[in-house]
Amino acid sequence: MSDQSVTNLSESRFASSWSAATGSWLPAVILLLATIAVWEIVVRVFAISAFIIPAPSEIAKSLAANWATLMQATLVTAGEILFGFLVSVVVGIAIALVIVRFDWLGRALYPLVVLFQNVPKVALAPIFILWFGYGLAPKIGLILVIAFFPVTLSMLAGMQSVDRSLLSLMNSVGASQTQILFRIRVPHSLPNLMAGTKIAATLSVIGAIVGEFAGASDGLGYVIQFASTQLDTALVFAALLLVSVLGIAFYYAAEILERIVVPWAPKFSHA
Amino acid sequence: MRIEPIRAAGGRSTHIRHDDDLIAAKGVSVVMARQLVLQNIDLAIPKGSFVSLIGPSGCGKSTLLKVLAGLVEPTSGSVSIAGLSPVDAARKRMIGLVFQEANLLPWKNAVDNASMLLGIADKSLSRAQLKERGQEMLELVGLGDSAHKRPHELSGGMRQRVAIARALALDPAVLLMDEPFGALDAITRDSMGQSLLEIWQRTGKTIVLVTHSIDEAIHLSRHVHVLGIKPGRITESLDIGLPYPRDLSVTEDPEFVRLVVQLRTMLRASHQPGGAS
Repeated sequence: MSDQSVTNLSESRFASSWSAATGSWLPAVILLLATIAVWEIVVRVFAISAFIIPAPSEIAKSLAANWATLMQATLVTAGEILFGFLVSVVVGIAIALVIVRFDWLGRALYPLVVLFQNVPKVALAPIFILWFGYGLAPKIGLILVIAFFPVTLSMLAGMQSVDRSLLSLMNSVGASQTQILFRIRVPHSLPNLMAGTKIAATLSVIGAIVGEFAGASDGLGYVIQFASTQLDTALVFAALLLVSVLGIAFYYAAEILERIVVPWAPKFSHA
Repeated sequence: MRIEPIRAAGGRSTHIRHDDDLIAAKGVSVVMARQLVLQNIDLAIPKGSFVSLIGPSGCGKSTLLKVLAGLVEPTSGSVSIAGLSPVDAARKRMIGLVFQEANLLPWKNAVDNASMLLGIADKSLSRAQLKERGQEMLELVGLGDSAHKRPHELSGGMRQRVAIARALALDPAVLLMDEPFGALDAITRDSMGQSLLEIWQRTGKTIVLVTHSIDEAIHLSRHVHVLGIKPGRITESLDIGLPYPRDLSVTEDPEFVRLVVQLRTMLRASHQPGGAS
């Protein structure tokens, strides 16, 4: 009897969690499929030229025909994003630590960092090409200047929001500033830092593509630019699709990292 | 008694003069933002006693506690804790602090939270020694079987018990508590107060409790000091003659009821600004 009810309970739980999952995903999937279908139909019915808007089927064909080239370009871009992202996170954390630990240096550095944030960094891309050539370095540099800021800012916010009475406790037993920094402020800032890291992951994708636009001989940004000069719009869309996939992949990688680094943080994403 | 100093033959006890008064404040005034927060406070707290500071909001009772803890420097006057300044006393682990918010570290479990301050204060202790001490303190506050729970798995009252364990882990001479049960519901509050009494009797610590609850002050303390507002000053002091050990049934004692009425009258007078009463 009780066995029976346990089974029922777990079954109904499974059913409800499955329906919850489909309930949250299904509308988006339906809308996506409907959009693709309407797109295909509109392009065919109105006979829109393939170099203005290619039909989804044309994009799929181009994706298949250029698979090897596109995969090679994806790998190059993914490498730039990963490398640039890691450098951004490391530099972003280092700047935040310096600002918090060394008061006078922080007061000198922080306004400059904020000021620099207002420079349109995409416009720096040609200068970086001039300085660092066409290889990996200018892309890393561009990703760094675009993506370090949310890391620094979020970590600062986390480190500075430690409760005053907790600091009083630490001070009363004679804790040093370094102890307070590494035992309290840094772990306390991790949930904020991970939020900033997710933003940095998204910005890293943008930085890599912009860097490739400005000057590159490989990568998805290069493919997009090359294909558009050839009026091969289907290939442009195929490359765009892969850029989006990369963006989503890096975002979720950052989210998984968050779960590992801050298991105690409240989870908002589960409805 | 379960509480023993970590270093059995340490010099700690020699710092404590065997006077009757562990804490002596003389003529303490505090000016903050051009406001006279505390005026000419004289306070003597005997070793091993349980003293409550009660008063209306803005009377400076929390500030007074911070002065005793060495967190706020008095503008004039002096405080000595066993002959030391409060800051020196805190460095020698003689002061345990408990605030209204438990302020536990969410990434550490209960036992590591309980030993966290001790680990900062005494770097010579190994991880195993800290864990052992943390566990011992959790048992003292009645949380022996929750050692591996993280703060978010504990109720508000349990978190506050961990905060008390964290303060006791330092083996302080005095426990300074600023409305430690202020954020708890009435039932939890009663049982926390009762637990605190038992801890006090088992450890012989001196306890100074800031509260705004008349019942709590009388239930727990041996002496109650009433603070008035504008400026913050001690207007009355009341000895609570009810015998220890006390439990919650003490609240039905006619003497308890008489003291409640008396303290309420004192508090009402303390709400009058200036030198009234």
